[in-house]
Amino acid sequence: MATEVAEHLEVHRHPEPTNFWTKYIFSIDHKVIGIQYIILAIVAVFVGMALSLLVRLRLVWPDKPIEILGTLFPVGAPEGVMTPEFYLAMLTMHGTMMVFMVLTTAPQGGFGNYILPIQIGAADMAFPTLNMLSFWTTFVSFVTLCAAFFVQGGAPIAGWTAYPPLSALDEATIGGYGQDLWLLSIAFFCIGSLLGALNFIVTTLQLRAKGLTMMRLPLTVWTWFVTAILGLLAFGVLLSAGVLLLMDRLGGTSFFIPGGLLVNDIPIDHTGGSPILWQHLFWFFGHPEVYIAILPGMGVTSHILATFARKPVFGYKAMVYAVVAIGALGFVVWGHHMFVSGMSPYSGFVFSVLTMCIGVPSAIKTFNWIGTLWGGKIRFTTPMLYSIGFVSLFVTGGISGIFLGQPSVDLFFHDTYFVVAHFHLIMGVAAIFGMFAGVAFWFPKFFGRMMSEGMGKVHFWLTFLGVYAIFGPMHYLGVIAHPRRYAETTSVDYLGAAGANEIHYFVTMAAMITVTVQCLFLINVVWSLFKGKRVTSDNPWEATTLEWVTATPPAHDNFEGRIPTVNHGPYEFSVPGAPRDYVMQCNAPDAAPARKSGE
Amino acid sequence: MHLTQHLRGSLANKAMGNSTPATLEQPSLVSFSEHQRIDIDTPADGEASGLGNSNPATSDFEALAVHRYKLGVSVGFGGIIMIFAALTSAMVVRSGLSDDWKSFGLPSVLWFSTIALLVSSFTVEKAKRALRNSNENGLRTWLAVTTVLGVAFLVSQWMGWLNLTERGLYLAANPSHSFFYVFTVGHGLHLLGGLLAVGYVTGRVWCGHHWVTRSAAIEAAALYWHFMDVLWLYLFVLLLVWR
Repeated sequence: MATEVAEHLEVHRHPEPTNFWTKYIFSIDHKVIGIQYIILAIVAVFVGMALSLLVRLRLVWPDKPIEILGTLFPVGAPEGVMTPEFYLAMLTMHGTMMVFMVLTTAPQGGFGNYILPIQIGAADMAFPTLNMLSFWTTFVSFVTLCAAFFVQGGAPIAGWTAYPPLSALDEATIGGYGQDLWLLSIAFFCIGSLLGALNFIVTTLQLRAKGLTMMRLPLTVWTWFVTAILGLLAFGVLLSAGVLLLMDRLGGTSFFIPGGLLVNDIPIDHTGGSPILWQHLFWFFGHPEVYIAILPGMGVTSHILATFARKPVFGYKAMVYAVVAIGALGFVVWGHHMFVSGMSPYSGFVFSVLTMCIGVPSAIKTFNWIGTLWGGKIRFTTPMLYSIGFVSLFVTGGISGIFLGQPSVDLFFHDTYFVVAHFHLIMGVAAIFGMFAGVAFWFPKFFGRMMSEGMGKVHFWLTFLGVYAIFGPMHYLGVIAHPRRYAETTSVDYLGAAGANEIHYFVTMAAMITVTVQCLFLINVVWSLFKGKRVTSDNPWEATTLEWVTATPPAHDNFEGRIPTVNHGPYEFSVPGAPRDYVMQCNAPDAAPARKSGE
Repeated sequence: MHLTQHLRGSLANKAMGNSTPATLEQPSLVSFSEHQRIDIDTPADGEASGLGNSNPATSDFEALAVHRYKLGVSVGFGGIIMIFAALTSAMVVRSGLSDDWKSFGLPSVLWFSTIALLVSSFTVEKAKRALRNSNENGLRTWLAVTTVLGVAFLVSQWMGWLNLTERGLYLAANPSHSFFYVFTVGHGLHLLGGLLAVGYVTGRVWCGHHWVTRSAAIEAAALYWHFMDVLWLYLFVLLLVWR
């Protein structure tokens, strides 16, 4: 067992950097890279929110000149009135920015990078240089995406799903390089994510501390691990599809462009391609992508609920199997995004049944979260509130998914605001709440200071109510058959009669307030960095996992030349007979006398 | 196992000796094992021969690195397989969907490519065996032969593309050509990556460098090279059947 010994002779193979560039910019330290991912996501999330506000403004006041917009966007909003194309471009970039640059980067690349190696007792990721390369590839992807705003023709208008032929043909849009840059950006992003996924998988499999068996891993590590597997298998497919679409645009091929197509009475010189083929390839990636965004949030939530309920996670093994099941099922349900594409009803039925199957592990998770809270000595700290908020949003967003998973019901709901409400709640906001929880929970470990609980609680309640105010009414808009992605619906009679205009007004107001409230979060982060209460112990939350046993903030090689040995399961709270109400994973084997530890 | 168990045991014993309920979280009660520092850029053994390792820690580290590099490459296969699986399914769907699919004869030079790559898989295996048997001369020779064969493969592929363009079979002329270019260029790029890796270790081995992760780098490059071979055989058969 030479390798096993060597595992513990493993060291931080790179010396501590001394100059600014290698320490903070081109760092190969997983902790710095994690923070870089988080900063990237914070920049992207504010850009994305600004774009969503433009979208909301256009929906409520389609013709009203807004002077500042005319100054800022002379092409997209001449004299302050946004053109329909500009609306679609903002919509597309909002979706792309949020899904790729926020929901995929921060939960996995950000928190996973920083916390995973420490939680498994490693000195760094398995391939530190590759890790740096992953981040910088992602950064190039972000810059390329932003560049799409500034090129001739402006940002792409085909939506974040980039369905051809709209995404493939310049004749169908204003033209220009926006869509090309978008595809290039996505290709870079895929490469960065693939490299990152590889690193996470090898790190989890190989660098675990002595005694840290797979069934003793914190649930956060499990979700990062499964997310990495999903990323490894999903991003390659998107990369392939993206390259084919780029060739349709630039190389004159006909992978996705059908023959005999007329756009604005112009015959298109392509033959035999299939737009449905793109949908299949895209959603084969797209559905696992949803879980890539949400699984880390589930892990963080499980972790935090146990910590602040002072109870072990209810049904730890069931939680692990549920995560694995969700990941596996995620690859066989992509067809439920395409019920209206003319697919055979038999295929639709199969996809529908498989989709319903995901409800089972999801329900197990929800049940176990409630079971974890049940009878606990709950401490209502800010991270705990965010985590409970995550459970709430996950349930609300999940229930509407059961409607959309039925082909017959989806025929009506497809491309209505019901879908917008569904995916924003479950994929967008729930995952964001997971990130809020993560920031509030690990901030003291990152920076040695606590975040302000007062500001945190105000932010939580305003955001929690705000997102329900935004997305709750959208379910109703869907029920009255309000189509999504339309730039202007104020003059549509059947919508107006059902009260859609008032609802849009309310939603826009709620969105403006909620976006403003997010500045409070930013203020809290900056304020706490300099003025937050200094932590007095390395384990301020009285938690059990390995990141709380090391220095605050952790040393360059995490454990200062040592490697912890794990003797206990990850959530040994309120152990009968133990002197304190928690037993850390690396406490001596006899620290938890009454319970068999974790195995 | 033995070393760490010993270390852990001694630390744990110390811990148990002091055990009082109120101090559970004190560092003295936390099980730690010490580990040694190894700089990966130093020679594996400090001697030029590179045969055998006097330092057990270094050789353990080497074994770990071999395992890690090979695991990393193997996990990478998952991503690459998905890329080509997606393209394959796209080709099956695209060719079955419409009546504009025109078959064409593959350039005969591809047979040469295939043979070159098959032989290179054999030679890289010989290099790996030489490494394991500490046969430095064999290692140098077989690595160099592999590099040359890799270059020959890419040159041969290039001639295949030239052959197609001479026949007027451009990228966009027909979906069958489009897929041919996508598959061969996609594989060529992946192989180029492998060639850079093999070329890098070949260069360093020829310069007489001994670095701690040398075995790991060679083993991982060989594994990747075999995979490129298998992938090409799959693509070649696919293109022969489905052109």
